[in-house]
Amino acid sequence: MTIFLAAAEWGGEFDGVFDDINALFDFPFLFSFELFGQEVGINRTILIAWVMTAVVAALFLIGLRNASVVPGKLQTALEAIVELNRTIAMEIIGPKGLKFVPMLTTFMVAIFALNLAKITPFMMLPPTGRVAWPLFFALISWVIYIGVGIKEQGFGHYFGGIAFPSGVPKILYVILTPIELVSTLILRPFTLAVRLFANMAAGHILVVITLVVPWVFLPSFPVGWMLGVVGIAAGPLVFGFELFIIALQAYIFTMLTAVYIDSSMEAH
Amino acid sequence: MLFTPLLAAEAEGLQLFPDPSELVMGLVAFILLMIIMMKVAFPKLNAALEERQAAIQGKIEDADAKLAEAEEAKRNFEANLDDARGEATRIIEEAKQSAEQLRADILEKAEAEAAQMIERAQADVAAERQRVIQELRGQVGALSVELASRIVERELDASTHEGLVDEYIQRLSSQN
Repeated sequence: MTIFLAAAEWGGEFDGVFDDINALFDFPFLFSFELFGQEVGINRTILIAWVMTAVVAALFLIGLRNASVVPGKLQTALEAIVELNRTIAMEIIGPKGLKFVPMLTTFMVAIFALNLAKITPFMMLPPTGRVAWPLFFALISWVIYIGVGIKEQGFGHYFGGIAFPSGVPKILYVILTPIELVSTLILRPFTLAVRLFANMAAGHILVVITLVVPWVFLPSFPVGWMLGVVGIAAGPLVFGFELFIIALQAYIFTMLTAVYIDSSMEAH
Repeated sequence: MLFTPLLAAEAEGLQLFPDPSELVMGLVAFILLMIIMMKVAFPKLNAALEERQAAIQGKIEDADAKLAEAEEAKRNFEANLDDARGEATRIIEEAKQSAEQLRADILEKAEAEAAQMIERAQADVAAERQRVIQELRGQVGALSVELASRIVERELDASTHEGLVDEYIQRLSSQN
C-alpha cells in the first residue's frame, strides 16, 4: 500500500528528491498574480490546506445542519470533539473558559486536519509542516491570550503582572522581568509555532523516506532488496506513529492555548 | 553514496521563512473556518444541546410528577384499604355483638319461659293439692259425722256439728 501512496505523491520519479530538502515542502505556484509588487499565488500546499479546511467546514456544517435532540452518527462524533475541548476549557480555565470552546475547537480540528494531510493519500503533505501555518496559528493564539489578559485585568495590570510577578524579592526583578517578558510575549508563540512546525516537517521527511526507500532499494539485489523490504514493513508503523503525532500536536496546541488564556485571566 | 545528496540538503537547511502566499491564503482559509464555526456550527450545536437539556429536564420533571402521582394514588389506595379493613372489622364486630345480643335474648327468654312454666306447674300443683285437701276434708267430715252418729246411735244434726268437725280437721292439718 505504501508503494501506491509513494506513487501517488511522486509518480515514481525520484531523481533529485533529496538534492534540496525544500523540494519536499516548497511547491511552485500553480497560479499566481502580482499584488503590491509581491507575487501571490496558489501552490499545492495551499490547495491541500484549502481542501482540508473545506472538509472540516463541510463536516461541521453537514453534521450540525439539522442538529437535533437525538444526534445522528456524525453529530455524535462532532459533539465528542466539542466535548473534548469543553473538558480542556473547564479543567484548565474553569467555567469562564467555556466561551473559548468554539475557538479552541476550531484550532484543534483545523490543526488536526492540516496535520492529517501528511498521511492522506494524494496529498501526503502537511501544510502545518510549512512555517506559514504554525506561525499564524501561534500569532492568533498570542493575540487571543494577550487580548484576554488586557480585557480581564486591564492593560497596566496585565503587563505589570507579567513583568513583576508578585512574591519575589524586588532585587530579583533585575533578572526576572526580562525573562518573564521574553518568555510570555515572545517565547510562548515562538515555541507554539516551532513545536508544531518541527513535528510536522520531521514527520513529513520520515514519511517520504519510508515511502521512497522501497522504490530506491528494491531493484538492487540482494542488499538493497532487504532494505526495501524493511521500508515496506516500516510503512504501516510509521503511518500509525504519525497519526499519533498528528492528533497529539493538535491536542497540545489547543491545550497550551487554553493554558496561556488561563494565565491571562488572573495574575499569577 | 546515496545519502550524500541528503546530507548536502541538510547543510543547505530547511526554508524557515514563511512563504507570503501560504501565510495569506492559509490565514484566509482558517479565518473563514473560524467564522463558519462560530457563526453557524456552534450556534446550531448549542441550540440542539439546549433543546436536549430542556428535553431531559422536562422528562425528569415529567417522571417526578408521575412518581408523585403514583405515590398519591398509592396513598389513596392504602387509605381506602385501611377504610375497608376498618369497615370489615366493624361489620364483624357488629355481627358478633348482635349474635351475642341474640344469644342473650334467647337465653333470657328461654329462662323466663322455663321459670314461667315452673311457676305455672307449681301453681297447678298447689291448686290441685288445695282442691284435694278440700275434697278430703269434706269427705272426712261426712265420714266422721256418719261414724259418730253410728257410735252415739242418735241422729246428729249435720249442720250443727259441722263446725265442730271442721275445727277438728283444722287441728289435724295444722299438726301435719
